[in-house]
Amino acid sequence: MTLETLEKINNAVKERPQELADARRKGRKVVGWFNYNIPEEIIHALGLIPVRLGTGGNDRLVEIGARYISTKNCVFTRELVGLFAENQDPYIKNSDIVAADATCLQTYRAAEVIKHYFKINIVILGVPRNFSLPEGQEYFEKELEFFTKKLEAVAGKKLDTNKLAGSIKLYNDIRKSIKELYKYQAISKSTIKWREVFDVVHAGFYLDREKYLSLLHELLGELREQHGEPVIGNLNGDARILVSGSIIPPGDTKLINIIEQVGGRIVSDELWSGLNPSMNIEIREASIKGIADGYINRVPHAALPYLDLETDGRLKNLKRIINDHKAQGVIFHTLRFCDPFTFKASETKDVLKKEGIPLLEIHTEYAGSDLEAIRTRAEAFVEMIKNKEIQEVEQ
Amino acid sequence: MSLNENFFKYPEEIKPEFIETEDIVFRDGSRISAADIWHFMTEEAPVRYPYAYTNNRYYGRRLSGDVRLPSSIKHNYLMLTMNDRTSRARENGSPIIFVQGGQSVDPYYAAGGIALRPASTGAWARGKEEGLNLREEEMRSLDVREKARKAISFEICQTAGYEHIQEGNLPVDMVAPYLCLRCSDVGYGVEAHRHGKRKIGLFLVDFPLDHQKEKEWAAGYLARNLHRLTREIGKMSGKEVTENDLKEEIKLHNKGRKLALDTADVWWSASAPPTNGADRRAIFQMGGMELHGDPNASLTVLKEANKDIKERVKHSTKGEGVTDNARRLFVGGSCVFPNDFRTEEAGGIIVGNDNHWSDISTIVEETGDPYEKLARAILSYPYEQPIEGRAEWTIDQLKKSRSDGFLFLYNWGCNTQSAIARMLCDIIHEETGIPTLIIEHEMRGEQTEQLQNRVNAFIEMLN
Ligand code: SF4
Ligand code: SF4
Repeated sequence: MTLETLEKINNAVKERPQELADARRKGRKVVGWFNYNIPEEIIHALGLIPVRLGTGGNDRLVEIGARYISTKNCVFTRELVGLFAENQDPYIKNSDIVAADATCLQTYRAAEVIKHYFKINIVILGVPRNFSLPEGQEYFEKELEFFTKKLEAVAGKKLDTNKLAGSIKLYNDIRKSIKELYKYQAISKSTIKWREVFDVVHAGFYLDREKYLSLLHELLGELREQHGEPVIGNLNGDARILVSGSIIPPGDTKLINIIEQVGGRIVSDELWSGLNPSMNIEIREASIKGIADGYINRVPHAALPYLDLETDGRLKNLKRIINDHKAQGVIFHTLRFCDPFTFKASETKDVLKKEGIPLLEIHTEYAGSDLEAIRTRAEAFVEMIKNKEIQEVEQ
Repeated sequence: MSLNENFFKYPEEIKPEFIETEDIVFRDGSRISAADIWHFMTEEAPVRYPYAYTNNRYYGRRLSGDVRLPSSIKHNYLMLTMNDRTSRARENGSPIIFVQGGQSVDPYYAAGGIALRPASTGAWARGKEEGLNLREEEMRSLDVREKARKAISFEICQTAGYEHIQEGNLPVDMVAPYLCLRCSDVGYGVEAHRHGKRKIGLFLVDFPLDHQKEKEWAAGYLARNLHRLTREIGKMSGKEVTENDLKEEIKLHNKGRKLALDTADVWWSASAPPTNGADRRAIFQMGGMELHGDPNASLTVLKEANKDIKERVKHSTKGEGVTDNARRLFVGGSCVFPNDFRTEEAGGIIVGNDNHWSDISTIVEETGDPYEKLARAILSYPYEQPIEGRAEWTIDQLKKSRSDGFLFLYNWGCNTQSAIARMLCDIIHEETGIPTLIIEHEMRGEQTEQLQNRVNAFIEMLN
């Protein structure tokens, strides 16, 4: 069975650069953003067009980026700088202003480098490290006010509460739909694969958000017709893998390909380019405070340190996604020099071990030199999960 | 000067002059005379810490050969007694707090704690085992560091004291650095303790980033962090910390900062460098009052150093080991430093460094709410400003120190300093024409020789 909406989404993404260029000709402004905590609701409510920037998997761009930043930054950061240096990416070319937050300090520094060398207008949103304390939350609210003022200047208008309420509703619906899609891909004999859902999430980085929501609804309608309500039951002999760790942006298919080639079935992710931004976010009021509280209290990104292992929201979220999607093992993807995730790999492994979930860390970058080594390790891991399942079934 | 080939020895002929110099006065009011320091440095320490007396040019921490600079001997005395003093102070109820280098330590002391940065904890750990020669000492520290790498991450730039706290035997009570000060790894390093073998107090003093010095709310946020910090340390030291305690502490630390600035001005203005690089670095750094784990002791030595340097400059006395017309280098970056002695042998001298200077050169306002004033000062540290702001300050320092070249060093795996290296150097070079060089260093030591070769080649190029 095919899903017609997937084709529609693909086509919409192809047409998007032209659409953006046309919109800009008519006076609309585009805000490209990167890092992990930019509330798109505010950009959208101001009538600006948000697009999420950054791609992966391109070693040539990584090399170009390293001329301006360093070889000791993660490849995602280097490629990001490379994208700006080359200035061919349609979304970068069409950004009137770039927004970045200070969640991961590598990308924060990249923002400074991009501003300096490529004369890009960049607005930064500060993010507190003590995000769970009242003073941290107040700081974030003030930062968001400051950030909003800068965007208001770009938009030439003030943030309107009604418009904001509309944007919040829109984004809540998008997040809800994405979570629903993740359920469908995890059921047995699903007509949609995780990888397709992942691509749908990435389409949402670019498409007009109203149009995107209606496409999501259409896709869910198709799935509902084919499968009814999603029930993740029978494990069906698959080796059900969850992918977690450093960002896997559009274009970076290296690890995903390998997992699929060795017979693993990805049933979910805990990635900031996947499901994570849709998790655990609750915006209680249509105001800057409401948005600030919603964003700062959601799943914390690994770049934000948290000192109590037992109550760590990141680990809770990971366990919840594993549970919800009945994953049997985690492949923890760490990009070289991505300290936010690399530092946490062995700790996460220990934590999951207690839950009976094995974790395999794959430490890599975009170059292909380690392909075979990764394949061997992933294959052994997938085999181990399959064997474990057979044993459990036999018992 | 009586240096034999492998073992450093203070020459007896300087003793009469040295023992006439000033006492060191400690925080608890006790003091030690120069005569007792002499005894320790010439009789006791060579037996307890033979490695420290290794007279090997490859040993970057070797004792300065400038034996006629009393403050140099006293600084080394304080370093070699780090274990004796810190262990005693802890037994007497002072909590030991692990902090980041290059930050002010006023609030930690105001709350009755002792703040130690990674290098100071290293000195404390070295002092715990006696009788080791240099080889044995290096093996010990490599071994413990390797354990930390395994426990945290193999990609860590440096283990920032984790090894001593989790894998070693240092009874540190709390890990509580200012965050984001220069790097993200410090934050991850604090977090790593949450799954360490040893349960230990953890605390983050958040240092918000991005044009932070212009933002009222950033200062308010940091001030509240500092309040919490002193409260938490106070709980351990048994001290109810008042605003006045912090005010007084700031005044004391400002004395150090101002004296260091004055000393630097004099040092930089001299026709010939009045000390060698190792002594310069120690003296300037004493202004941060965190070098020896006892601000008052650092201050007495710094006062003496200030006088001595003024004398030397008056008489155009050159520091021991410095060549004529040495090329003047300013070092930027963090957590790695060239070997001063070998740099001097190559015809250069390091006249300044941004790390451990940006905080010292920031004076805290003494009137008004001390938490807020301290927060504002911290947020204006030049080293942590946006790169363009940091470059502006660095250029100013290069001019003041009359530097001929700018070296930027960072460790392998250092994501933050490496990220800004290129841009910082480009701005400096474009605006001043001063040659710059970026060097990446492998922390494990294998590349030390390569690093020094590149420094030496740079000096040659400057010639
Ligand atoms: S979190 Fe990791 S992968 Fe993401 S930008 Fe930061 S260092 Fe790179
Ligand atoms: S080497 Fe760099 S990343 Fe490591 S602690 Fe120092 S500044 Fe931080």
